[in-house]
Amino acid sequence: MLKCTFCGRRAAYNRRYAGVFLCDRCLIKSVEKRFRRAIAGHRMISPRGRVAVAVSGGKDSVALMHLLAGYGKQKNCELVAITIDEGIKRYRDRSVLAAQKNAKSLGVEHVVVSFKRAFGATLDQMVKLAKRGKTGLNPCTYCGVMRRSLLNQAARELSADKLATAHNLDDEVQAIMLNYVRADFSRLHRLGPTYPQREGFVPRIKPLREIPEKEVALYALLRGLKMHLGVCPYAGGIHGEIRDFLNRLEANHPNSKFMTLRMFDRMKPQLAKATPEFEIRRCENCGEPTSTNICKSCELLQGLGLERRQKTLISPKSS
Amino acid sequence: MAGIKVTVREIGKRHKREVRLGPHATIADLLQKLGHNRETIVVRRDGKIVAEEERLSNGDLIEILPIVTGG
Repeated sequence: MLKCTFCGRRAAYNRRYAGVFLCDRCLIKSVEKRFRRAIAGHRMISPRGRVAVAVSGGKDSVALMHLLAGYGKQKNCELVAITIDEGIKRYRDRSVLAAQKNAKSLGVEHVVVSFKRAFGATLDQMVKLAKRGKTGLNPCTYCGVMRRSLLNQAARELSADKLATAHNLDDEVQAIMLNYVRADFSRLHRLGPTYPQREGFVPRIKPLREIPEKEVALYALLRGLKMHLGVCPYAGGIHGEIRDFLNRLEANHPNSKFMTLRMFDRMKPQLAKATPEFEIRRCENCGEPTSTNICKSCELLQGLGLERRQKTLISPKSS
Repeated sequence: MAGIKVTVREIGKRHKREVRLGPHATIADLLQKLGHNRETIVVRRDGKIVAEEERLSNGDLIEILPIVTGG
């Protein structure tokens, strides 16, 4: 039997990048410690703040909501959960239920915002329109841009001062690599544990950024959290290739993911200096913050012959 | 020395299967044989989550749970 390096109980996990074995209790403690260290180290949450947490119902966001709920109780912070229902049949409908159950069990206010109501079409319908119109854009482009826009708008309408997302170490390193491969300098330099305060944007925070995906999953499983473990039917493409590459690298050379993140964090101040700040305007169509005349969501919607239908997302009935 | 036989259940797949391995095989050896990357799965042995370096015993029930989900 393999034993925990710290307490001698049966090991549940080999943290190869640190050369230690952890039992269930020590792993849970370690994840909670890293979560708190991220919040304190980057001053992510102000005392008595109101935090919106993006919850899809998957393992990462469910774990984050439970961690934030515990933190909020101790620090007297308010928590509100936002779920974006993109309208992906037999996938998102199931995860929305998981998000609802967890929010209810924690007594957290929960709001569901749907693509269908906001844009007049589900993601499934948009994908069909994109194919018919030969836009050449993949589902993740529509989903990513529009989900971020709705999350920001909903968090703002809910008077949140921070928007927490459940990006883990793997997600962050994948984003670094993806932006590098695409030579997307402006997106690359914006990555980080926190995002600055800018008009119209609720600053985002990523408290799980330094916790590997496997450890977040182990935390959720060992705590017995109810979560949805489905795979998005649209997943794949270059995102999937980069994820597989990084996982192979980590399996053969433990600590590669952390080293990639550390290197990026060291370079980030220099990257920021080399990138001019953009002026924030209001989208001529929907009024959301943007750097151009029309925001990216509206541009994508127009390309599909659609438009934003809901100017205000949160009504008393939807919460 | 005779090898060992374990039953493997991959969550999300319908059928269990039996896998034969060498006498001192570990869970990591099993994962390699099945083509799984340890970064993307969690392993339960007889219902308990275990480290991949644990040695297997004849007759073990091993569950493999994929954790790379989402989009």
